[in-house]
Amino acid sequence: MTLDRSSPPAPAPIRTFRFPSVERRALDSGATLYSAQRGDLPLVTVRAVIDAGAASERAGEEGLAWLTASALEGGTAKRSGEALAWELERLGAELETFVTWDALNVELTTRADRLPDALTLLAEIVREPAFPAHEVERLRNEQLAEILRRSTEPRGLADDAAVRCIYAEHATYARPIIGDEARVQSFDNDAAAAFHRRRFTPGNTAIVVAGAVTVEVALSEVERAFGDWRGERRPAPVPTTDARVERTTVFLVDRPSAVQSELRLGHVGVPRHHPDYYALLVLNTIVAGAFTSRLNMTLREKHGFTYGVRSQFAFRRAAGPFIIQTAVASDVTARAVQETLRELNAMRDNGPTAAEVRTARDYLAGTLPLEMQTTEHITARIAELHTFQLDADYFEHWRERIGAVERDVVERVAREHLHLDRLSIVVVGNAADIEGDLDALAVGDVIRHGNSA
Amino acid sequence: MSKRVAEQPVSIAFERYRLDNGLRVVLSRDPNAPVVGVNLWYNVGSRNERPGRTGFAHLFEHMMFQGSEHVPEMAHFALIEQAGGSLNGSTWLDRTNYYETLPAHYLELGLWLESDRLGWLLPAMTQEKLDNQRDVVKNERRWRVDNQPYGDWDERLQAMMYPPDHPYHHSVIGSMEDLDAASLEDIEQFFRTYYAPNNAVLSLVGDFDPAQARDLIGRYFDDIPKGAPIPPIPGRTEIPLDMAGEVRDTIEQDISLARVYQAYRIPAYGTDEYYAALVTSYILGNGKAALLYRTLVRDRQLAQDVIAYAFPIVVGASMLVVWATARPSANVADLDTALTEQIEALAAVDDVDVERAVAMLEARHLTDLQTVDERADQLSMYTTIFDDPDRINTELERVRGVTTADVRAFAAKCLRRDNRAVLRYVPNGARS
Repeated sequence: MTLDRSSPPAPAPIRTFRFPSVERRALDSGATLYSAQRGDLPLVTVRAVIDAGAASERAGEEGLAWLTASALEGGTAKRSGEALAWELERLGAELETFVTWDALNVELTTRADRLPDALTLLAEIVREPAFPAHEVERLRNEQLAEILRRSTEPRGLADDAAVRCIYAEHATYARPIIGDEARVQSFDNDAAAAFHRRRFTPGNTAIVVAGAVTVEVALSEVERAFGDWRGERRPAPVPTTDARVERTTVFLVDRPSAVQSELRLGHVGVPRHHPDYYALLVLNTIVAGAFTSRLNMTLREKHGFTYGVRSQFAFRRAAGPFIIQTAVASDVTARAVQETLRELNAMRDNGPTAAEVRTARDYLAGTLPLEMQTTEHITARIAELHTFQLDADYFEHWRERIGAVERDVVERVAREHLHLDRLSIVVVGNAADIEGDLDALAVGDVIRHGNSA
Repeated sequence: MSKRVAEQPVSIAFERYRLDNGLRVVLSRDPNAPVVGVNLWYNVGSRNERPGRTGFAHLFEHMMFQGSEHVPEMAHFALIEQAGGSLNGSTWLDRTNYYETLPAHYLELGLWLESDRLGWLLPAMTQEKLDNQRDVVKNERRWRVDNQPYGDWDERLQAMMYPPDHPYHHSVIGSMEDLDAASLEDIEQFFRTYYAPNNAVLSLVGDFDPAQARDLIGRYFDDIPKGAPIPPIPGRTEIPLDMAGEVRDTIEQDISLARVYQAYRIPAYGTDEYYAALVTSYILGNGKAALLYRTLVRDRQLAQDVIAYAFPIVVGASMLVVWATARPSANVADLDTALTEQIEALAAVDDVDVERAVAMLEARHLTDLQTVDERADQLSMYTTIFDDPDRINTELERVRGVTTADVRAFAAKCLRRDNRAVLRYVPNGARS
């Protein structure tokens, strides 16, 4: 039998996918437990999701959530930092901490039979960190060095400049979470301990257990480790999100050694709970959220300007940024900006095609299970449920909701949510080579942006 | 709580066979999620490039996504994204891999795409596509290497560690000049030489019926002809395990933090001593109880971060590389000296260090096996390098077999000052 290769084979019947069922329980302490059983490998991930993200810092504390998170490795009331590291790593587990605007996360992955040990250590770290002065000082100095490193690293430099140029100076999101040098310099162990006392309460905390563990075991183990913890819920303040520019402006960060220009184009987006959330995911996929997106096809596959381009609406409790990012050869910097704006204008004016919307929906719905294969992935998704107070069965309906997004809705949200008249365009590159071309583009004023780390 | 985690082996079941044209196939069914990983390893990498064509294996990889006789330009990406799948490829010193992770009911699509570019790539190749992808790859080089602090560290270390006629002397990304020189004739020649079923491994992992998968693989791959025998790797592949002298260099860059790299010549991947090197790399630089973190980051505060990595490469000899980024207040020479002292302290390494490293490697192995794409990649790798997919199940035994005495002996033999290259990066104007 000769095989007909001339067209792609049709798919077989679709198989059902179920997001692992998530149990949510309110604990007596005020903390929340989330548990999802996934049994194929003997692994478990545990995470404390604490409402102690960067948005919960007070004026003068910018960068303190970051320091507090990293200083958790400094040890607990029961053991030194080094002893803690030994305990964890003999289990094959590594302590991971990461701070977003909305949460401070503390996570461990280990073998499922070691869940009791893992939760004992997690509870110690979260409830009784010691913050010894010498360890906090060391980690503060590492944070300062990292701020310095980013100031000469083009991608970090562009990311940091982008948020400074998108948001007004007083806005919460107008800075990187890591903070700036002057502020971080002022932090000590007392500051970290005070932030911990204020923000690390059971009412502010969810414990996620995902892996080869039943709900009953997860519940009893979390109760054992966290049950006698006391403290109220203390909501974080609502971030402010005013924009910096009223009309499109080019911010040029001079990096004389650059052989490529890092580009960021963006504006203030929308909060996670916006009713257009799903349509914006579809829109973003078509703009630059997938390989076959319009911008990647144009800038990479047609013109060869870049290795790749990506866009994202950063969904947070308040309006995070919409940002397009790419890096292009210096000599095509202005042309790349021009092509990007041309594609964005076309999308805003005419919307996507029906085929593009179909592809984007199928892509988003299809890749969801691919991104749910590990206990860490599932934990991250559950943390999202908690942070945004979504239903426990939220992800079971996610694909239907994406599938219901119609072309005319995407057309409307493109018109309403792409603010092309007030973009902040950040260019980190060799100004001597590119400033003239950027001026000549005449898309907006070209302003030199200092590296204000 | 401090005792060693008990062994709890995980076994990945698979079946393997070979088509008449030489294609090796590994099938591993996992019905836990409705997804399938399709993974191909071609036993060709930058080591196979001829002089004047560095970077070509990688440029060729890009061309494999540009369509084939029955797959229109850009359709490869579009069809997989429409199916709700993800895809990519990567080129390294020893191999080139291509993979897609798909909803299980699209398995046949993956096989159609992969077989078409293995069997019918050349009719779709054009000068315009080559010129476009050449520009893309040059921008990839700028992004990864030329515009990135410390971005050329591996290129520089490879040149310092391997003689000019060794296949690892040059980097995977290659030089701008050589990328410029690549022609359509090169594409045709490279394809005919290396892209043959007898030089490839296909692995499927996920939710499929193995009998049906065999049938589909036969339909799509059986009529691709076997290629000529693969020519030997060019250049001088044998090198002594003793460098007999230290090589040093210091580079000034537009950076704010100095960094030191030390690369030691070690036995190739797959040898018993390689596993001692792997465990040693974890003792040194993986985790917050790692030797270099304890001493250089936590205690002496000379370093901002430390990393150690044993390259899993097979031709002649491999490298164990350690690097540390200096604190602004630290002197780069002091950091370099301190790194050397700690590596020499491995002569007295304790059992607890070895046990911790093995526990970390065990955990890493288990977490890696969670995804169908990683499992498929490992099955392809073990089949390509060792003709033994079961190493996915036995590799950990080699790690667990490493003793404290093995680590000490390995360190004494390989981690010597006269068996290494040292590369320092310092801020502009700071080279004394």
